[in-house]
Amino acid sequence: MSKFLLLAFRNVFRNRRRTLMTLLMVGGGVAGLLLAGGYFAFMTRGLREDTIRAGLGHLQIFTTDHFKRDEVRVLDTGIENWRKVAATVNSAPHVRGVAPRIEFYGMVSNGTKAAGFMGSAVDPDAESSLGFSTQLAAGAGRNLSSKSSSDVEALIGAGLAKSMNVKVGDGLTLLAMTSDGALNGVDVQIVGIVKTGIAELDARFLRITLPAAQRLLQSDRVTNLVVGLDSTDNTDVVYTELAPRLHGLPQEMTLKKWIDLATYYNQVHTMFNGIFLFMGLIVFLMVLMASINTLLMAMLERIREIGTMLAMGTPRAWIVTLFMLEATVLGILGAVLGVAGGNLLGWILNISGLHMPPPPGYTVNIQFRVLHVPALMVGSSIMVVLSLALASILPAIRASRLQIAEALAHV
Amino acid sequence: MASTNTLVSLERVTRKFPLDHNAVTALSNVSFHIDPGEFLAISGPSGSGKSTLLNLIGCIDKPTSGRIFIDGTDTSLLTSSQCSLLRREKIGFVFQTFNLIPVFTASENVEYPLLIQGVKTSERRRRVTDALANVGLSGRANHRPDLLSGGERQRVAVARAIVHRPSLVLADEPTANLDTQNATQLIDLMRDLNRTLGLTFIFSTHDQRLLEHTPRIVRLTDGCIISDTHSERFEGASREQVFAASVS
Repeated sequence: MSKFLLLAFRNVFRNRRRTLMTLLMVGGGVAGLLLAGGYFAFMTRGLREDTIRAGLGHLQIFTTDHFKRDEVRVLDTGIENWRKVAATVNSAPHVRGVAPRIEFYGMVSNGTKAAGFMGSAVDPDAESSLGFSTQLAAGAGRNLSSKSSSDVEALIGAGLAKSMNVKVGDGLTLLAMTSDGALNGVDVQIVGIVKTGIAELDARFLRITLPAAQRLLQSDRVTNLVVGLDSTDNTDVVYTELAPRLHGLPQEMTLKKWIDLATYYNQVHTMFNGIFLFMGLIVFLMVLMASINTLLMAMLERIREIGTMLAMGTPRAWIVTLFMLEATVLGILGAVLGVAGGNLLGWILNISGLHMPPPPGYTVNIQFRVLHVPALMVGSSIMVVLSLALASILPAIRASRLQIAEALAHV
Repeated sequence: MASTNTLVSLERVTRKFPLDHNAVTALSNVSFHIDPGEFLAISGPSGSGKSTLLNLIGCIDKPTSGRIFIDGTDTSLLTSSQCSLLRREKIGFVFQTFNLIPVFTASENVEYPLLIQGVKTSERRRRVTDALANVGLSGRANHRPDLLSGGERQRVAVARAIVHRPSLVLADEPTANLDTQNATQLIDLMRDLNRTLGLTFIFSTHDQRLLEHTPRIVRLTDGCIISDTHSERFEGASREQVFAASVS
């Protein structure tokens, strides 16, 4: 069999120019997939970490009621004794910290105009210790501080600030329903303008400190606890560790992974996967069609030789195998060339410092980087080897079915 | 029916090829027998049916009618894969244009019939060495065909045809592409192998140099045998004497 493999290998290099063109085509396909896939991987990884660092955290703890029913009054499905729960979670390995959060809604007014907001309340120290950052617009104030002497500090979205015609240092009045169902208000001072990168969110964004929100809403409860880990890769491990610890508490708790809560991330990820699969299909068909042509030409050039092999008693199945082996060798060489070329091109692009224009809904340029993903290299390589092997079936069968006498007389 | 001593037996073999709405008769009612160890030439002008006859004996074509026996086996009853097996084990081929595998060296070309028979590596090596020695090409074993002369290529083809010790070697115009010196050397080589190894050679030719030293000549014209002659030179001689005379 090794001699047969040797024959296949040598046959691949009989027509070097044609083999080179085929290798360039196959390698180009693989390299293209690696570059596109590597860029998509960079985008999704960046989006994942941005999503987590923007405050989603790696895990979140809610009361089970939070998912079972809508709140009748604000925070009535919130976590009651959240400090005890946080202490339980903090003792688990890989946990960097726990940040309590309150999600609430209300109206904001500048005295002459009112608008709705989507509010969140945070513990600034806990947030900063977990590395959760709020993206401030350039030169637009500072983040919230728990040590501030002012009454109530607030961050608002750039869109909301523009709509309310306010700037850093101006005051606003927040109105919201308390946990008792009464209407309550609090005056806040704007300390920073936030630019999340998503225009729709910037138009509704408002953030205050946790004590201020608890005063506004007249409740000690929090909506959820956000858990930060030392690495995203440890999410599953910590999830498995924490889930049993949350059983037996006065309130039934539900632990959620970041992936279950990152709706936007999942949509983008699914879209990228779809685009990549479509590209993969195009490359697959391109390689398949071009390879059928190449291999048919190779077969037609060797009709008399195949006739000789058949005349000597070579089983027809061996002829099929020989052509498929040749195509597979070609596919493997093309894949190696493509992986090497794709990684080299990716490296060159990475050091060139290119940026892409902002995608729809975003307001900032995105860095162009290509990740070197081993699974992508293996997958693309397997794909082209398979397409070459498939492409060889037609010429292989035609070769094996040649009439020997006619093949020997072929000029 | 073939006798028990007969290696090849043809009984009223006809081969027609369809051409447009008609059929061209390449061979018509051909019958003859070939015994083991014979050195036989099939001669005749172009288009007389020599190659067709060799193809039929070599089981790479089927007769339109009639029967062909090889070593007592009725080849008309064989399936394609059984024909392939029979060719692999019992027949060696030498072609006019050598038909060596260009990416294989001389020794690898000679090794090929053993490879498809599944012979073990050590045995293959030994037999290839012997076969190349038999044709005087031991020193050219690692040369590819494009580095060999025409005569050397045909000798490699002969070594390939005999390496698996077939019952029968079929050679289609083996000297047609060779100059006089190489043709003479090849004729001598084939006769020597016929004598020393007892191999049966059937070859088609209209090369007078080859015919002069051939004990039996079957002449074809328009697909029919017009003569089947044994040279007077070899009349009455034993097989060994015939062989000896043929190489003298």
